Amino acid sequence: MADRGGERGGERGGERGGFGRGFGRGGRGDRGGRRGGRRGGRQQEEEKWVPVTKLGRLVREGKIHKIEEIYLHSLPVKEHQIIELLVPGLKDEVMKITPVQKQTRAGQRTRFKAFVVVGDCDGHVGLGVKCAKEVATAIRGAIILAKLSVVPVRRGYWGNKIGQPHTVPCKVTGKCGSVTVRMVPAPRGSGIVAARVPKKVLQFAGIEDVFTSSRGSTKTLGNFVKATFDCLMKTYGFLTPEFWDETRYVKTPFQEFTDLLAKPTKGLVIEAPVETVEA
Amino acid sequence: MAEEVHLGLPGPWAADYREKADHYTTKIGGVPDWPTGDMGIKPEMLQCSLCGTKLCLVAQVYAPVVKLNIEERIIYVLVCPTPECGPRPQSWKVLRVQKCRNVEQTEGDGDELGQGTGPSSTSVPEEQIDKNKSHDINDDDFDLDALAEALEQAATLASNSKKKNKSKCANAPIERPVLKEKPADLSIPVLPCFYIYYDKEQYRVKGAVGSSSNEFPLDKEMTDTGNYEEEKWDGEKYEYDKAIGADRTFLKFKKRLDAYPEQCFRYSYGGKPLLAATKVQDAGTCRFCGSPRQYELQLMSPLLYFLHEAGKGSSNYGPSNWTWLTLIVYTCSKSCCPSSCGGRPCGCCWDVAEEEITIQEDEAV
Repeated sequence: MADRGGERGGERGGERGGFGRGFGRGGRGDRGGRRGGRRGGRQQEEEKWVPVTKLGRLVREGKIHKIEEIYLHSLPVKEHQIIELLVPGLKDEVMKITPVQKQTRAGQRTRFKAFVVVGDCDGHVGLGVKCAKEVATAIRGAIILAKLSVVPVRRGYWGNKIGQPHTVPCKVTGKCGSVTVRMVPAPRGSGIVAARVPKKVLQFAGIEDVFTSSRGSTKTLGNFVKATFDCLMKTYGFLTPEFWDETRYVKTPFQEFTDLLAKPTKGLVIEAPVETVEA
Repeated sequence: MAEEVHLGLPGPWAADYREKADHYTTKIGGVPDWPTGDMGIKPEMLQCSLCGTKLCLVAQVYAPVVKLNIEERIIYVLVCPTPECGPRPQSWKVLRVQKCRNVEQTEGDGDELGQGTGPSSTSVPEEQIDKNKSHDINDDDFDLDALAEALEQAATLASNSKKKNKSKCANAPIERPVLKEKPADLSIPVLPCFYIYYDKEQYRVKGAVGSSSNEFPLDKEMTDTGNYEEEKWDGEKYEYDKAIGADRTFLKFKKRLDAYPEQCFRYSYGGKPLLAATKVQDAGTCRFCGSPRQYELQLMSPLLYFLHEAGKGSSNYGPSNWTWLTLIVYTCSKSCCPSSCGGRPCGCCWDVAEEEITIQEDEAV
């Protein structure tokens, strides 16, 4: 991902004729033939991500290699493409699409609410909820929102620290609405002891063994799922003795990659390219 | 959204960042093309208000207003190139240059598109790219087929002339009588230059994916979970979009951006800006005529990305420190002429007016 990002950045800057496809785009300006050809063209545009935020630009250039660097400084992630680049093994699954209705003067207006969970089964999980008038739009939007909300999940041991962490490090509880979900460390081989719906979220998080206990109106499965996700978010919020050491502060990516104070002030030097590239 | 929005999409790069175009060109970066050689602009207007450095051009947009019958009107967005000043809002300046309204007919480059390259036909030998000139007009009741034809004509014209005249463009004399030949001033800093072509934003396409395909996943999802009788996803209500790092306004902003990921600026005279954050500063009133300012165009983040990528090798490069999400330009709603000859519109002189610009920053940085 870092290589891919760096390589793409190099290609952009070095090749002056990179916008030569502007000619091709201009030729597509005839409005008549737009409808059919447009969807194919639109997919190509979607593959080329143009970052909007500073963090997005840093990720695209390949200056940030792991998503943990973003989590360390609690930087808000505003573009889902950042997550796609930094967490490559992300899988998504639609948990439920349910219609929600609103009473209007002209009858009922039905919209669809999609719940999507994404995760790499290895410590990163996200949950997205989106309402839209059409199912496909709702699913697409929910996947994007889920990617934006990917959080790290801390795993630990139940007893002996042998092998890889397999369960939650301590008892944690999460709440949403009236539903509270409590996760308790379990010995290896217990599996995920939970209802079907939160079990899916825990599987995507990469937790292998856990005991859960829930309270409240778990019939409202939307709240149940969100309570489980909230519980997973809290695993890294729990202060355990490993964190008792003094923090060694690291520069944020913005400070690290700024050229502001590093170079001596000179006049702006921009040179035109030596050779012109025919588009 | 009654107002339609025109998007400025990136076209070809300029071969030389300091090459001159004419004032009908819409471009990013490069040297500002003033309509006449001597504009009589006060030097303080072209200097940064914080450090006094000469400003460099970010965007030059040819923006005629057909409703007010103003054909010759250009908006220049300037910024201080020093890296310290770039992030501060006082180092940005917007100038609106226009010819006063006049009674006499202009050369018909407003109504007829087919010969819309009239004023630029003399400049074709020395212009690299001019195909965007023929559709630089944002008239609503416009004939789109004529526009498409004119685009094709201009594109073929440009590509033919470009091949022929590439070799002699360096020493061809400038034929236009208006511009005086000035030696290129190498002390003025210059941002990488590329040209812009226009496109109208078609936003309602989201419904056109195909309604028949919607039924299929719905049935599949419903039957998948229908096996579990005890699960009823009860009590769900409409929920607004929520993400940990982004609020609703930004999510809507990003959605519009993702539809056209390369839009460099959005133009909508008198329309509504696409905000990236809910906090909006008041535009105020025009300092010359007192009429309220209205939104006209906004520069978008992809522009910043392209400039950043182009200048990656150079040190002390201004755009590397810019962190804005969008820059919103407000102009006088009457598009007034601050100084006319004796108060009467004369049609001979060019007026320069400073307008308002607000920055919406990326707060995370």
